[in-house]
Amino acid sequence: MILLVDMDAFFASVEQMKHPHLRGQPVIVCGDPSRRGVVTAASYEARPTGVRAGMPLQEARRLCPHAHYVEGNPDVYVEISLRLLELYTTFTPDVEPFSVDEAFLGLKGSRDTLALATEWAREIQSAISERFHLGATIGVGPNKLIAKMASGVSKPRGLTPLDVEAFRRHFWPLPVREMWGVGEQLMGRLEKLGIRTVGDLAHAEAHVLEGAFGIIGPQLKEAAGGADDTPLVPYHQGVDPKSMGHEVTLSEDSRDATHLEGMVLRLSDQVSRRLRSEGFVGRTVSLKLRDSRFVTRLRQRTLNGFTADHRAIFSIARDLLREQWDGEPVRLIGVTVSQLERRPPEPQSELFRDETRRETLSSALDRVRDKLGESSLVPAGTLAHSSRLSHVPFGAVSPRSRPRGSAWPRS
Amino acid sequence: MFESLNEPVDVLTVFLDGRMRPLRFRWKGRVVRVSKVTGEWNRREGSSRLTFFSVEGAGSETYELCYDPRGPSWILCKAWSG
Repeated sequence: MILLVDMDAFFASVEQMKHPHLRGQPVIVCGDPSRRGVVTAASYEARPTGVRAGMPLQEARRLCPHAHYVEGNPDVYVEISLRLLELYTTFTPDVEPFSVDEAFLGLKGSRDTLALATEWAREIQSAISERFHLGATIGVGPNKLIAKMASGVSKPRGLTPLDVEAFRRHFWPLPVREMWGVGEQLMGRLEKLGIRTVGDLAHAEAHVLEGAFGIIGPQLKEAAGGADDTPLVPYHQGVDPKSMGHEVTLSEDSRDATHLEGMVLRLSDQVSRRLRSEGFVGRTVSLKLRDSRFVTRLRQRTLNGFTADHRAIFSIARDLLREQWDGEPVRLIGVTVSQLERRPPEPQSELFRDETRRETLSSALDRVRDKLGESSLVPAGTLAHSSRLSHVPFGAVSPRSRPRGSAWPRS
Repeated sequence: MFESLNEPVDVLTVFLDGRMRPLRFRWKGRVVRVSKVTGEWNRREGSSRLTFFSVEGAGSETYELCYDPRGPSWILCKAWSG
């Protein structure tokens, strides 16, 4: 049996735990509340107003003006998340973190029945409440898909066990968007085929689905029937990440090309540093841009070889920015590197002639930052933006390469 | 709402059972007695490990304190201003 433990309004609940006067109050966790940004999490007290994670803060303030707006603290959330994983491993060694506030737990042997797994789930809920003063919702099922979907049936502090039959009884009459993995876009495409409920999807012809969606078509049909053979991978076995990225909502919309390049450099440096510290190299660089109209563009380019060098990442990300930015004020920028591989023991030399020299330099800079902190090295070239950056990366764009303030929107 | 302060403060601290606990601190000319530690977490700054505490004062007011071993020093990071 599989359990999906989902912490209830995790970030907001942690803030309420840390600050007792916030308990029972609507709490909205965000970045710096005095600046703009998006809602990171909303407590259950705030949710009836319609506030949701990802919503712009401005809209949240309109819907829920009396909420407490609290700056999030990722250090605490990660620390509690790790302690929760430790707690789970006292119940079973098979624990797979799914996100910072969700984990799959596998129960085998004598506990492999729905009734016994439900008893264990109840004990896990009590242990979380006792030790952390936090609420958790648990879904129980014969596979990860059913456990995950069961966890959404009743919140907060819910406990929903479903076998395949119960899964079908509950979900088949519901709209197809209730399926795990079906978003707005896929729902629209399914509806065009006359598939409106989960039950419709389960009964659809496999060849029709394959014709419309390719290989995932028949998989969707299987999933709608409650079938899922995805294995649980315990976190002590480790799974390599598929991509690493960072994104930032700017403090104010910007059409200043120099500032935008500075941000892209900052993000490229952060991604590069993370790749190196975790021992990866990547091949595909993606740039995400969201403008003031909330139009989001995502473009990517693949290198001939693998790299973790921030200059190589920045060079491509900057080109992508120049190609796809149409001059509209930019609200959000993100840089991601994907197609990751474990870093080989010997430096790869196909990409750059002075690769070894750069790696030696990167390694020396990493050691300085490991010892003194991320902001210990400040690039002279990005000092123009230092008032707008909390952390300025090294290796800045030379201001002499372009006139200051010049713009290069796509024509 | 929380007021960001980041002010150095004097903190009376106890080390007990391998753990550190703030007991009282002096702020704005008065002594705030810590009635309850409601949270504790860490953050790495280079090779240093900063320890943060969310605490309640005797009047249920709340604060965030940070112990920085590089000083060593204590910083009052935030206070709830109601």
